[in-house]
Amino acid sequence: MMSDRFDSLLGQGLAILFALGLGALVILTVDESPMKVLVTLLNGAFGSPERIAGTLLQTTPILICGIAACISFRGGLFNIGIEGQLFMGGFWATWVGFSFNLPPILHMLLAMSAAVIAGMAWIAIPAFFRARYKTNEVVSTILANYVAVLITSYLTINIFKRSGGQSETPPIFESAYLPELFSFSRLNWGLIIGLALAIGVYLFFTRTSRGYAVTEMGANPKFAEYGGIDIRKQVFLVLIASGAVGGLAGGVEALGVHHRFMEGFAPGFGFDGVIAALLANGNPIGTIFTALFFGALRSGSLLLEVDTTASREIITVIQALIILAVSAQITIRRKASDSTAGERRWKF
Amino acid sequence: MEVLERLLNISLVIATIRTTAPILLVALGGSFTTKAGIFNIGLEGQMLVGAFFAVIGTIATGSPWLGVLCGVAAALTLALIFALLVVSFKANEVVVGLALNILAGGLTVSLMKAIFGTRGSIFGHGLVGLPALKLPNVKDLGWFGQMISGYTPLVYAAFILVPVLILFYNRSRLGLYIRVVGEKPEAAEALGISITRIRYISSLLCGLLAGLAGAHLALGYTTMFTENMSSGRGFMAVAILIFSNGDPLKILLGCLLFGFSDALSLRLQTLGISSYLVLAVPYLVALIGLFALSYRSRPRLIQETLASMGRVLSVKSNTIKPATATDASKP
Repeated sequence: MMSDRFDSLLGQGLAILFALGLGALVILTVDESPMKVLVTLLNGAFGSPERIAGTLLQTTPILICGIAACISFRGGLFNIGIEGQLFMGGFWATWVGFSFNLPPILHMLLAMSAAVIAGMAWIAIPAFFRARYKTNEVVSTILANYVAVLITSYLTINIFKRSGGQSETPPIFESAYLPELFSFSRLNWGLIIGLALAIGVYLFFTRTSRGYAVTEMGANPKFAEYGGIDIRKQVFLVLIASGAVGGLAGGVEALGVHHRFMEGFAPGFGFDGVIAALLANGNPIGTIFTALFFGALRSGSLLLEVDTTASREIITVIQALIILAVSAQITIRRKASDSTAGERRWKF
Repeated sequence: MEVLERLLNISLVIATIRTTAPILLVALGGSFTTKAGIFNIGLEGQMLVGAFFAVIGTIATGSPWLGVLCGVAAALTLALIFALLVVSFKANEVVVGLALNILAGGLTVSLMKAIFGTRGSIFGHGLVGLPALKLPNVKDLGWFGQMISGYTPLVYAAFILVPVLILFYNRSRLGLYIRVVGEKPEAAEALGISITRIRYISSLLCGLLAGLAGAHLALGYTTMFTENMSSGRGFMAVAILIFSNGDPLKILLGCLLFGFSDALSLRLQTLGISSYLVLAVPYLVALIGLFALSYRSRPRLIQETLASMGRVLSVKSNTIKPATATDASKP
């Protein structure tokens, strides 16, 4: 068992190295030195306490989105619409934040609940159709992303735009802020929420019978059905839970970081979360580390754009290469060990 | 009434044909993989690299036709990686498709910045689009002539491909093989068809058309490249493929519906409706189509489930038989 896990980590590590090698090649083709890019990335991500805090700040939404993805992967489902749930959650948390004036902690909790409800509402229809009619959730949640981004932009600019210039909503009241952890950074309680959630979700899947039922469904839906699990209900609930966490990610960004909602509110955090969860093989604890890895890449890439000619999208390329390499190597290993595991949809 | 007249006229039909073409091309590409039993969510990325390299190729060579070739080559490369991972390595097709989409997005922006030093969009630099085709003697046909003439070549290609693909699936050997591999892989194996080879061929044919779709987007539909310019068309195509089951005629109908909603929404913008809401219309149409048709297909789903259960039971009772049974059905 232990050596199995070690093998898997070793394979994963080799796949990442392979992808980084390919990434270096890509960097060479855009006329930059891979070494310089690496040093700049590391410096940008960990060069000072402020930068470390910046990395953690980027890690937080990726982690929470990653947990949302983990929940759906465990159930054998693909919620690729986390980006959309994040936008919806972020907007409605902001709306509660600037529309009402309430006592401090209560206000924050209410705004956060709005985010969670918005996330659930946004996945409710795709979840219903997936549960009842097996409508492909990958496509429906991806398409819903585009709609969410456009609708929140509409609400921000056509309905709630702050008077005077910029394309953003009014700022939220301070009573709705998520408290910051340090004075020198916008890093906030969102990180603690994310870590607690990762541990909670991990315990749910490994220690409770309900969590086991979800994992069972993900591993083999037919068996789960024979075992007496109401698949329709469970599919619906798993997707709703995943959407709730996606919405929460938006709430954390709105109440902890931006304190308002604007166009391009959270560029790609939802997709990064999906990738982080894939790389961690749907394990919430593993997602903490993969999210940190991607958070560091993102944070480092900010300096990359300043100090080198490479663009920050180069890290997107590296992320994609890693996933491709890992997706291939996991199947090679699985083919070698046993062929029956091929049914597990949430594995690669 | 006046509003209706402003919305519905011959130029709306022309706009519909224009907006239908790119999504029709990419959806017809996806029909190859759908028919071969592969769920290909990577259409979006293939289309995007197709568009980008079509622009690069045109700027480098000065010829939009060579540009189209470059775009197709780039999309084929992505399709080959997809096939390699999904068919040979049996990696999860959703994961690979999504990763390739992300790769395409990152790569095009990175290269754009490296080559042109800008982000956002590429135009100018000697970029020329494909020439519009004026059909001869259409003047005599009045409004109909107006409707069918003056598009760029890939628009005609898209619509001509519909009957071509219908014939391909029903009359050609390769088309039949693709369908057998998708519908009954075990029968294909018994017939001695290489599933791997057929799936590779389908993926590459898909890449070919997705590349053409991208090239059309950048050199016919517009004459520029913008960041993420495929803007979800690949995903809408996948939605159409799901409810059309990859049949060319149903794909055409689905794509016309999109083209129409796209063209209509562009008009609504002139009536002063917020562009954000207007831009959401095609995605909403895709979602509603996906949901509505999956609701309708419910009885069929149940039938299929019963049929497949029956098959499983009968196969279990005489496990040796299938090979001979499929031999009999050989054309």
